[in-house]
Amino acid sequence: MAHPQIAVFARLANGQAKRLAAIEGQKTLLGRTMHGMGYDAVRDEIVVPHQFGQGILVFRATANGEEPPVRVIGGSRTRLIAPDRVAVDDVNGEYYVPEGEEVLVFQRDADGNVAPSRILSGPNTGFVASRAIAVDTKRNLLIVVASGRRNDTEILIFDRKASGDTKPLRVITGLNASQNVTVEPERGLIFVVQLGENTGYIGVWSVADSGNVPPRHVIGGPNGTLFDPRGVVLDVKNQAVLVSDKQLNAVLTYQVPAVFNLSARP
Amino acid sequence: MTPRARLLIAAAAFTIVAVCMGDGNGLRFGRLIAYDQYEETGEMCVMPAAWQREALRAAFQESTAGSRRAVPANLPASSYKEYLRRIRDEYPTFASVAVDTVRDEVVLTDESTFKILVYSRMENTPAGVEASKPKRTITGDKTDIEFQSGVYVDPKTGEIWAANNDTRDRYVVFGAGADGNVAPIRTTETPHGTFGIVVDETHGEALFTVQHDSGLVTYRRSANGEESPIRMLQGDRTGLQDPHGIAFDSRDDVVFVANFGSTHGVSGSIKPRQGVGSADNKEGKTNWPLGREFAIPGSGTINEPSIIVHRRSASGNEPPIRVIKGARTQLNWPTGLSFDPQTRELFVANDAANSVLVFDAAASGDVAPKRVIKGPKTKLANPTGIFADVKNRELWITNFGGHSATVYDLAASGDVAPKRIIRNAPEGTPSLMIGNPGTLGYDTKRERILVPN
Repeated sequence: MAHPQIAVFARLANGQAKRLAAIEGQKTLLGRTMHGMGYDAVRDEIVVPHQFGQGILVFRATANGEEPPVRVIGGSRTRLIAPDRVAVDDVNGEYYVPEGEEVLVFQRDADGNVAPSRILSGPNTGFVASRAIAVDTKRNLLIVVASGRRNDTEILIFDRKASGDTKPLRVITGLNASQNVTVEPERGLIFVVQLGENTGYIGVWSVADSGNVPPRHVIGGPNGTLFDPRGVVLDVKNQAVLVSDKQLNAVLTYQVPAVFNLSARP
Repeated sequence: MTPRARLLIAAAAFTIVAVCMGDGNGLRFGRLIAYDQYEETGEMCVMPAAWQREALRAAFQESTAGSRRAVPANLPASSYKEYLRRIRDEYPTFASVAVDTVRDEVVLTDESTFKILVYSRMENTPAGVEASKPKRTITGDKTDIEFQSGVYVDPKTGEIWAANNDTRDRYVVFGAGADGNVAPIRTTETPHGTFGIVVDETHGEALFTVQHDSGLVTYRRSANGEESPIRMLQGDRTGLQDPHGIAFDSRDDVVFVANFGSTHGVSGSIKPRQGVGSADNKEGKTNWPLGREFAIPGSGTINEPSIIVHRRSASGNEPPIRVIKGARTQLNWPTGLSFDPQTRELFVANDAANSVLVFDAAASGDVAPKRVIKGPKTKLANPTGIFADVKNRELWITNFGGHSATVYDLAASGDVAPKRIIRNAPEGTPSLMIGNPGTLGYDTKRERILVPN
């Protein structure tokens, strides 16, 4: 891509909307290929991976222009290889980074060349290629979307503090390939990007689901208004799901009150 | 309903009928069983010109026709398919530029709506006109183009070469006069993330920079299909660090490469890691950069930007001949490069500083540019592409952040107004610069959408 950036738009932005702000320029240290990011509401910070430079960058949420990150995780102790995605647990103060056979966990205050505080990896985990990750802070669950041992895409649900060669609590199978996932903790809903050559959509499962079960809702497709979705994030307050689409080069907002209103009540 | 129409949809009436049902885990979830579609309202945004809307509609329909797979069998019958809002740049975003001095045409790649646009070289969008209409537009599913960052025009044949930077690992070559939804006359597989392109007609070679794996690959000029590169440059001594633009000096037989600065070590002797992606299409290939699976963990660095000078025929882990780097250089995300063999000057599209830097061909170290084009009169806005038209003594710039290409005298300096401007959108139209938004964030405190490229 010719121009890396983190562009900031108003919630109600539509069409040819003007950027409210943008983090861009050499001092930001940004590189292209940011395929995951998180917002830390407690610290009011933005967290993004840097694939080429093998780092995790943390910015003030109000950063604009050529503003450097406030913290950078990187170096030989980090075990970072090609960090592509990151999940922020702002309740427990941790960052989760899927790195193929490993899920690396860093403390929020980590800065510089620091080792992960936990590593989830091994044959019992059931995954060989972790792609995307999210945290259910209410139920203390770690949601890993990954290629399993049969090379199919699965949602593997672990205890949030799982470490080492730990078995998942549950596995949801039968998914299309995916690149991103997010969780709505209050209702225990998992929103998963489902790739497809112009048949992509967002599938919504429950954290209680297990096995080869259909999504409880589908958003944007298949054969709808999404083509190749890549990112998904929630605006819970306004009952909206926001999706980025590679083919459309666009960000689409779906208002889905039923998904948010008809909630899980354990 | 067209995608354009969908853009104007807003919620006016929305009725949902849903029931709650228990599941085996004691949880209760809603399952949608019916809904009414959103109705349209007239939320305003800047509309593309009529010809642009028609081209967009045609390209969209062509690119999606026949390409949809059967949907999975186990989906629920209900779904939400219509969106409420859509943020999208409906206009082209010029990324790179080349001039065909024989046919008097300028060729521009577009990373926003996936087009190659060809204009008359003397095109100059008059004030009050929405946008200039291109002579030809190459776009559609047959073209195999997506996120094109580099372009080359062969002045002898009129062929247009373009590097697909992301998502499609190949470069494409179109025949002279190509227009509309046409197939390339040649398509050659590349490593993932090629950006800049330069063709050495004397030696019959095409060189491409590779962002992801910090590499430089060289193909036979006539390479086609799955043919491997004939040379490859990669390694910690090369100085390649997220390389972008490339330019060629035939007299000294060297290439200049612009680096953003980030990279990581790779080693062919380590066990390849599973699940971290790889340099695609590598099976059976030679001279192919080592991909992410061979990355040395924790070896990554994010360095200052640079321009490195290599022998054209450099290979392996060969160090550069010279390096331009340091605070005096003013480099700030140097993107496109072009070389003037008559004045022996190197031109740099300096994206994040909204400037063009000019260096002497022999420049080395922490050296100030000979000239700088910068300032409000220049109308430079995130310049990414650059082309020195030596025949007509003009300098072309693509403004990634300005919906335009601007033309200057090749000797221009300081805060100078462009000689001509090609606008692809109405004056003042915001440029979103969204490019393959691979993820999203949401700032719940300020209710803002975060969109990284």
